[in-house]
Amino acid sequence: MPLTFKHHQLSNGLDIIAEANPDSHSIAVGMFVNTGARDEEVNINGVSHFLEHMMFKGSEKYTWEDVNRIFDEMGARYNAFTSQEMTAYYANVLPEFTGKAVEHLAQLLRPAIRESDFNTERNVILEEIAMYLDDPGHRLYEVAMAEYFGSHPLAMSVLGSADSIKALRRDQMAEYFARRYGPGNMVVVASGQVDFDAFVGQVEKHCGHWPRVTAPRQFPQPQHRTRRKVLTDPRLNRLYVMGFTPGPSAQDDRRFAAQVLSDVIGDAEGSRFYWALVDNAICEDADFGFYPHDRCGSYYLSLVCDPDRGERAIGIALGELEKVKRDLGDDEVERAKNKIASAIVLQGEVPLGRMRAIGGQWIYNREYRSLEQDMQVLRSITPDSLRKLIRDFPFEPMTIVSLGPGDQKMGATGDTA
Amino acid sequence: MAQRYYQHTFTNGLTLLGEKMPGMQSAAMTLLIPAGAAVDPRDGSGTATVLSDLVLRGAGTRDSRQLTDYLDSLGLQRSSSVGVHHTRFSCAALADKVIESLATYADIVRRPLMPEAGFQAARDLAIQALEGIEDEPRQKVLLKLREYHFPWPYGRSTMGEIQDLEKLNLDLCCVHQARQYKPTGSILAIAGNIDFDCVREEVERHFGDWSGQGEQPGQVVAPPGRVHHEAHESEQTHIGLAWPSIEETHADYYAMRLAIEVLSGGMSGRLFTEVREKRGLVYNVWAGYTSLKGYGSILGYAGTSNERAQATLDTFIAEVHRLCEGITAEELARAKVGLKAATIMQGESTGARSGSIAHDWFIRGRIRTLEEVKREIDQVTLDQVNAYLKASNPGPFTIVTVGPKQLQTP
Repeated sequence: MPLTFKHHQLSNGLDIIAEANPDSHSIAVGMFVNTGARDEEVNINGVSHFLEHMMFKGSEKYTWEDVNRIFDEMGARYNAFTSQEMTAYYANVLPEFTGKAVEHLAQLLRPAIRESDFNTERNVILEEIAMYLDDPGHRLYEVAMAEYFGSHPLAMSVLGSADSIKALRRDQMAEYFARRYGPGNMVVVASGQVDFDAFVGQVEKHCGHWPRVTAPRQFPQPQHRTRRKVLTDPRLNRLYVMGFTPGPSAQDDRRFAAQVLSDVIGDAEGSRFYWALVDNAICEDADFGFYPHDRCGSYYLSLVCDPDRGERAIGIALGELEKVKRDLGDDEVERAKNKIASAIVLQGEVPLGRMRAIGGQWIYNREYRSLEQDMQVLRSITPDSLRKLIRDFPFEPMTIVSLGPGDQKMGATGDTA
Repeated sequence: MAQRYYQHTFTNGLTLLGEKMPGMQSAAMTLLIPAGAAVDPRDGSGTATVLSDLVLRGAGTRDSRQLTDYLDSLGLQRSSSVGVHHTRFSCAALADKVIESLATYADIVRRPLMPEAGFQAARDLAIQALEGIEDEPRQKVLLKLREYHFPWPYGRSTMGEIQDLEKLNLDLCCVHQARQYKPTGSILAIAGNIDFDCVREEVERHFGDWSGQGEQPGQVVAPPGRVHHEAHESEQTHIGLAWPSIEETHADYYAMRLAIEVLSGGMSGRLFTEVREKRGLVYNVWAGYTSLKGYGSILGYAGTSNERAQATLDTFIAEVHRLCEGITAEELARAKVGLKAATIMQGESTGARSGSIAHDWFIRGRIRTLEEVKREIDQVTLDQVNAYLKASNPGPFTIVTVGPKQLQTP
């Protein structure tokens, strides 16, 4: 599979990158913006995500009906997502629609933010917030992130609260857009069946006039501490537990080892958490994973169990984190590497998967990594690299938050969710 | 042009399907066993689900840990699940690793160790999953919708019922495994970087001397009603809506699919436009075709704040009726492009293709090529869609709600 990478920068500073795969039947085009909830002030919390919705409400040239119709006329698989530190818009189309997709995404990113659309869409956002309130796993995630990050910007909720969304004004959003969206702060990505020179020409035509915007980000050092918090909601049947502890950042070379270590500890099957917690049905779910954020990373643990098994489950999970410091086996590292290698190959075969990977990588590091490079790094990881990683990030301090029906012996003071 | 699609039915009734996909390094396998929820014992709902976990807890000469470690060492991305008709085992990885795993999947479905401790844990997990559903009204409404829409046993919950799971024991699981894990009616599909002759030899070696046929679903019984409300102190009211449609083998199938694409295809779909974009009633609303053999249906969902729930349901149903008044040429053109693009993009994923060809074989007894699907979509005319819609008269509707308050239904 001969993949080739190309990069070009427009005179306004807009980066264009592409990974061409002549075997692909489609092309995925994405516009990634280096902005998200962590770049918001408290009084406009939720604006990044709300703005992402407003992009689909039209530009000076198009109404919201035009936006949706034109995407659908291309048969595009299109969407957008907002995280704490990134917002991305993308469309997966057949190659003949490449130019149209670029033009349309460029229109998308010049939103009119009309007052009437703003007010209608506010209701949709409020429904999205309500929907996640009916999802205990998501509710817990938001609280646990806020507890763990404290006053650090990564504590900010992506959705915002019903109150912050109700209070948000159109002009605050327009100001945020002007400040955060522009060539110095984003990248245009293509993967799959792409003719790079033509692609650059299309991006130049539709985005070349965009004013240069550079949007700095604050990087305060997070102040983590070990703590437990118990939230109760008598309507719930199950206990949900989430913990966070420091890990390597998105820029840290140790992040690759952290991915392997996470799979050793907490992959869905065959991991230490699986054998210690799921195989014996103490927990219905027990995950350990890794979030490499911008210049600050974290591991997370996530458990779902019967409420009266919570204390035991947390004890076992923490015990496994201690054990892995002492007796990491060669075989389990090799197995985790093999699973990740398969995931890399499978992702490489689907343009949308590669677009997300290379777009995210560029936003974090202004760097392209080929599948071969990822494979090489993966192959070079040894049990010793994992042991060193564990010494550098020894799973402490750890913030643990639980959400359940109450009456659990959790050894911490409780709040009502 | 090089051959792309392959099929071979062994004398024991097992069907092997292959799709050779140029440019791929990976392969994906889908193995369908005729052990879906529809053939769970009468008072044994959830048996197939417990069994699908239990058979992975040791098989052939490997105990649970050896089996998992071995499959992990191949780097397999794998899953198992239970549907109405089948228990499904699937995996994807570099092609040679998937081929290598076939011997082990033969162990899993033919020679599971069925340990007692493993049974207890598998059943406990199934019960926990059911309890978890009570915390997730969005999932619960869809389970209940199937129960109230499809006749028994096709509407049975694949997750089972607590009272049945509590009665389940290892012996019952062993009996069920011996009865339903059979080659006749099983489908093994592999797509990706494969040499079909090699695959066939490997499958012959490991599945060739398997024999027997599983039992068929029992007599159907009408659902308990068409309107159902579950009281739940949730933030939103979760609405499930279903109505009967036609079979995949019906002459109007593609016309119907295109009509549903107009209703709920992309963001310009009518439901999204009317319910979300114009009125801001919901974040999530959709409707889609569900291909249940003999009971093709449209299933839909909307989640909304309690005070907007009635307006949401009313708008949803009004849009379904308005669809029957016909669609425009522009809408049809968009729907065609959308369905065709989705078909082509599916051709880029070995996992999607292995699932798709297995499904085709079950429903139609043959593989639809990607070219055939594109051609069929192209051939549909506006007159055909509108004639179909005019005669379709959607209903009766099954309406299930989970939330604080019951809604008024038509």
